[in-house]
Amino acid sequence: MTGPLRPATLDEAADRLHDPGSMSVETLSTLFAVGAIAIALLVLATVSLRVAATWSAGMRGWWDALVVSAGPIALWLGAAVAVLATAGSLYYSLGAGFEPCELCWYQRIAMYPLSLILVVAAARADRAVGRYAAPIAVVGIALSAYHYLIQQFPDLSAGACSASVPCTAAYVWEFDFVSIPFMAVVSFAAIITALWIDRAHTSAGAQPER
Amino acid sequence: MSTRRKKPQTSPRTTAAAAPRRLPVGPIIGVVVAVVLVVTIVFTFGEDDDAPLEVGSPAITGEALPIFDAAATDASVGMPAPEVTGTDWNGTPVSITDDGRAKILVFLAHWCPVCQDEVPIITSWLSAGLLPEGVDMYTVATAISRVRDNYPPSEWLEREGWEPPVILDDEAGTAAAAFGLPAYPYFVFVKADGTVAGRISGRLEAGTLTALAQSLVEQ
Repeated sequence: MTGPLRPATLDEAADRLHDPGSMSVETLSTLFAVGAIAIALLVLATVSLRVAATWSAGMRGWWDALVVSAGPIALWLGAAVAVLATAGSLYYSLGAGFEPCELCWYQRIAMYPLSLILVVAAARADRAVGRYAAPIAVVGIALSAYHYLIQQFPDLSAGACSASVPCTAAYVWEFDFVSIPFMAVVSFAAIITALWIDRAHTSAGAQPER
Repeated sequence: MSTRRKKPQTSPRTTAAAAPRRLPVGPIIGVVVAVVLVVTIVFTFGEDDDAPLEVGSPAITGEALPIFDAAATDASVGMPAPEVTGTDWNGTPVSITDDGRAKILVFLAHWCPVCQDEVPIITSWLSAGLLPEGVDMYTVATAISRVRDNYPPSEWLEREGWEPPVILDDEAGTAAAAFGLPAYPYFVFVKADGTVAGRISGRLEAGTLTALAQSLVEQ
């Protein structure tokens, strides 16, 4: 930074916006936002199916079908979400020049290790990964949810937007509700769902632990 | 003794019950990815990514004020306020100069949710005729960024019915820096003699704004 009101990150972001050879930040943010909405809908559908399965034998059959079909690749799906979330986070800070605020850093501390842990666990078919990955994801989703909340209701945190890196301000705000913390909430929720399906698949006895 | 093997008893129903129902997870994921890409293309098609950033080139004269610290005594009180000349988004010249009139300078960032809450408060305050006679209000739209929420500031302020003259700051925030901005929104109260009466950053309620504006004409 060359001064309190000339953050190098915004200048770099402005330069990149005018680079005709690169996809714009806005286009990629739209892609990430649409992807987050799609994943959120899949997570909600999965949770709804499981809830419905407790009352309906027919829905129980569909839930079992989901576990049988997605169980073998659940860890890979969770790993893919974690890796994409990590890559997106690094793009925004190193590519788009968005300087992470304090809460962003805490969420990164939760997500970045998950991308490595889940890839290794998926490769080794480690069915015990949920014991240590799930708590990390739960902490991450709590941080992301709080961050999203103060973006929606900035009064909860402070009465002003810092000129440096305020957590209350949104670098990305697609479709009037999708921000980076929202994408993080969805990513952590997807990882938790993947671990849940993997555990259900293991409990069904289809894949013994190594 | 007969060792004839018994034919295994199977039936279509038994066979069907043994095979678990499966979902086509792979094709489902493929369809979801395709839908995401198509929706993204639809929403981004025709976006004018090469439009120039809505910023200005304000010219500053005078000594810059120190950065405002609410926790400390404001060292800028009594200092001559810098003068700014620039333009709004229509290219209309706007000048903040020592013209013998008291002023309230409002610094706003389009992406700041507190600023977005503050603008209607000030708009209503102005509509109620609470800006004292002899006091002018000016706006500096600063921290302008295409990639952040609520861009461009022109659409936002026009949508809110904002009436005070607006100077567009440059990408570096030169005008904001000249007045010692620490956070958004930011208010600088200037007396009729051109010296700084006080500064405040953050949310400002109508009652406080009224009191501070009145103090400019009572001095």
